[in-house]
Amino acid sequence: MSLIPFTGPWTRSEAAHLLRRTMFGPTHQQITAITNMTMTDAVNQLLTVGSLNPPLAYDAGETVVAQGQTWVSSLYPSNAVSNQLCEMARVKSLTGWLMQNMNYQGVDISQKMFFFWHNHFGAAFSSDARATYTYLELLRTSSLGNVKQLVKDVTVDPAMLLFLNGNTNSVQHPNENYARELLELFTIGKGDQIAAGDYSNYTELDVASGAKILSGYLVQGIRSSTLTAAQTLFLNPLHDTSTKTLSYHFGNATVTNAGAQEYANYIDIIFQQPQVATFLCTELYRFFVNYDITNDVETNVIPELAQTLIANNYEILPVLQELFTSQHFYDVAFRGSIIRSPLETVFSMLNSTETQINVNLATDYNIYLNIYYAAANMGLDFMNPASVAGWEAFYLAPAFSRLWINSTTIKFRFDIATGLFIFGIPINGYTLKVDTIPFLNNLSLPASAISVIDDICELFISKPVDPSTHADLVNILTNNLPTFEWTLQYNEYLNNPNNPTFVDPVRYRVQLVLDRVFKMPQYQMI
Amino acid sequence: MKRRQFIKNVALTSASLPFVSNGFGMQALSQKLFNFSTGAEDRVLVMIRLNGGNDGLNTVIPLDQYANLMIHRPEIIIPQNQILSVTPEVGFHPQMQGMKGLFDQGKMSVVQNVGYPEQNRSHFRSMDIWTSGSLDVSETRGWLGRYFDSYNPNYPTGYPNVTYPDPFAISMGSEVTATCQGIAANFSHAVSNPNNAVNLYQGGFVNDGSYYGDHVEFVGTIIEQTNSFGQVINTAAQAGNNLSAMYDPTNTLATQLKYVAQMISGGLKTKVYVVSLGGFDTHDNQADATNLQAGTHRGLLKTVSDAIAAFQDDLQLLGLEQRVVGMTFSEFGRQIESNASLGTDHGDAAPLFLFGTCIQSGIIGPNPTIGSSLPDQAGLNMQIDFRDVYASILRDWFQVPTNEVQQLFAHQVQFYSLAGTCNVSLEEQALANGSILVYPNPTPSNVHVKVNLEEGRTMGELRDANGATVKTYFDQNFSSGLHTIFCDMEGLASGTYFLVIRNNEKTLLEKVVKMK
Repeated sequence: MSLIPFTGPWTRSEAAHLLRRTMFGPTHQQITAITNMTMTDAVNQLLTVGSLNPPLAYDAGETVVAQGQTWVSSLYPSNAVSNQLCEMARVKSLTGWLMQNMNYQGVDISQKMFFFWHNHFGAAFSSDARATYTYLELLRTSSLGNVKQLVKDVTVDPAMLLFLNGNTNSVQHPNENYARELLELFTIGKGDQIAAGDYSNYTELDVASGAKILSGYLVQGIRSSTLTAAQTLFLNPLHDTSTKTLSYHFGNATVTNAGAQEYANYIDIIFQQPQVATFLCTELYRFFVNYDITNDVETNVIPELAQTLIANNYEILPVLQELFTSQHFYDVAFRGSIIRSPLETVFSMLNSTETQINVNLATDYNIYLNIYYAAANMGLDFMNPASVAGWEAFYLAPAFSRLWINSTTIKFRFDIATGLFIFGIPINGYTLKVDTIPFLNNLSLPASAISVIDDICELFISKPVDPSTHADLVNILTNNLPTFEWTLQYNEYLNNPNNPTFVDPVRYRVQLVLDRVFKMPQYQMI
Repeated sequence: MKRRQFIKNVALTSASLPFVSNGFGMQALSQKLFNFSTGAEDRVLVMIRLNGGNDGLNTVIPLDQYANLMIHRPEIIIPQNQILSVTPEVGFHPQMQGMKGLFDQGKMSVVQNVGYPEQNRSHFRSMDIWTSGSLDVSETRGWLGRYFDSYNPNYPTGYPNVTYPDPFAISMGSEVTATCQGIAANFSHAVSNPNNAVNLYQGGFVNDGSYYGDHVEFVGTIIEQTNSFGQVINTAAQAGNNLSAMYDPTNTLATQLKYVAQMISGGLKTKVYVVSLGGFDTHDNQADATNLQAGTHRGLLKTVSDAIAAFQDDLQLLGLEQRVVGMTFSEFGRQIESNASLGTDHGDAAPLFLFGTCIQSGIIGPNPTIGSSLPDQAGLNMQIDFRDVYASILRDWFQVPTNEVQQLFAHQVQFYSLAGTCNVSLEEQALANGSILVYPNPTPSNVHVKVNLEEGRTMGELRDANGATVKTYFDQNFSSGLHTIFCDMEGLASGTYFLVIRNNEKTLLEKVVKMK
């Protein structure tokens, strides 16, 4: 089976699968909305990137801009202690903002693709929150754009230069860190070691030559009290002006001195190798479809995606269009084939229950920081990727996404559900607990216990649940009473929408159901 | 089993405090310690993963190569007068006081220049190689996973059970360890804090045979195991304790090892513990030769050294020393030349550490040779294959028959004596009848002597082939019973020597070969 277009009926089942894979937890209404479109229109809407408001100052450590204003183009205090406190405040603001963006997502793929690239490049916080912000926004705004251009932009981005020592790579003392990862992780990928220093797609010579090509950069303005941004500088005296030779994997190409433009020439040469497209499309496939690269996938699916990528000069949008409109993507064999990352775990609990945080500036940021740490406890510390290769769950055979689940992390998955739906999580004097009433009211037939459980299962579980599990969930909702009792209870609530005597039991039964769903093995997949 | 029998037959008197005379460390084995040396079934291996590629040349410094190191890494080299020498040729980083102390007590060894042929300098591939114990890219199992698989082919189905109530391996933190990946599942259980009780909701589930169904079954099994293993781990944690005052609560590695000691002392039957420390990828700001307080490497090594010293101290106080050996590993060493960022780039071979009372102590393998000029990107050449270190530990420590060990590895295994000094051997049984046991023999540096003595005046000395005394070790009264005595052979030329012990009227003699 190759990538033939999907021609079957476009139903809620396909729509839900598409949104579960491309968003951090769709709502019932979002699934309804795209089911009512054609598949092509739905995919086209999904493949867009919106604009965002920048992160805002909220913490007392921020002493340069006023609370509620953004700091992303502001100076730092000159006093060393204030400077450090200011950076900590900005890091917290940035961290909370990242989580807020995942919470306030529309029907678009941009947060998921942003996550894809963030995992791909694997950079941690830089030492200047402005530089980190600029870098992350580069990834997000370019997330559906041209990959070759993105790699070029990332290569000379201040945060990346700092992260992989590009800022201390000089003709006098080459530092190979970035040059190696550029080949191994960012573009062509490492194949089997077929001879000493030869990794099928490149050699140690290419790493050494790459370091020379990429030499000469400095970063200035880090946490500066006089410069409003960290900036990349290219200094000729630090650049290796010799003619660099690449290995036979690149046709023994030579790269002559081109100063500040040389890196782009080199990246163009790398992208002439079709393995770059194969490497990137394999990563995309694993991220969106399935970990298992079968013979069929390897011979039919990946090459076709790679061909599309090359034919479009490394524009990624056509590749995603082809993938998300293919028969292969919607094959039932792949429903639930990926274990949720911690972000999908926690944001499904919030987003799919239509829970957005809107208390006040500082409390909102603190809540998002708590959500950040919840994901970190589950194994995904967003701004500190496990390594420059990203998180192992996306690449390490044979377990892949199963690596998210072990005895420590499963307990945190359960704990966050208990906190959000049963006990509440106290933060800054506010208790974060999901109000399930608006969520319930937006389902197809809230008064029908069976229908409520059907909708909940569709939203959170990739495949139909077995009848006994379904019956268990209905019993939790009805408190083991006949289902008509739920109908009566719900209608009483409708007649008394402000009376806790009738509202609270309805809210609580749904909270209990969701708490249970989030602790079922079946929930842990998308 | 043999061992226990043997112990019963030997009358032992306690003289338990280690003492030092004439600069030579001596340690008598108390009855308590000796009773703890049981068979392989109770033995524990602790692995410390140093993530990122530790710079071996600034950790274990070849003093005889210092002049050339100065040429290649002047910006980051440790000033000569700061190095802690452990032998005339080898020194430790100044932050490694704790490990030097263990070395001096014969509880630590350095295996030099460990690596594998055609070093891969990718963190990811190289760590895969180290955890799988295989150079074959298609090998997805870990080296310990293969070992556990060979005895438990159906795992995890049917586990835990009456015979195996405890996890085979525990990985401290929130990740399982790739070393224990088996065919169907990973044999390690992730534990962040053994004192936390676990009681997770266990739902029903059905595997429909799809990718999804397999995942459902996997997650369901993890939940069940989390509950049952969580209970046994928690029970062990409640029963166990720590006695050392050396653990620093801010030392993340020490905290992990403290939990490990607690679980072992509480009776958990887990055979392998894996702990880890990251940050060794020191491309920049590793060290500054002009400012010893600068750079990240010193803090990393202090963390490792303090943590191991505290752990070993705890094991001794808990009476567990003879049940535990440890080893460190890292995916590669770093290049000989430093870079412009006061750091080092990915290299090749590096030293690894073994610790415990049952390891072959000392420096194993010669110093690397550093030329005055080097090719670009040069690392250290591999001399000892890391897979042979694993294989030797399986043989010496877990007493896996050599043919079975060989089956776990694709290459032709070469065994080294690394962790067998507590094993019962025919020779050792002969000790009960008044023989002496000298190990390692041949030796590159020092030896331990195990001897069963009568109470009374005892002299120990080393003679050369002509009968001339070259070292005098002790002349004093000993208690009756089995004693282990450390004898220094530093500074002696290669050749044959005789260790002579005169115990009252009896003279015991053993040939020792010194070989560099």
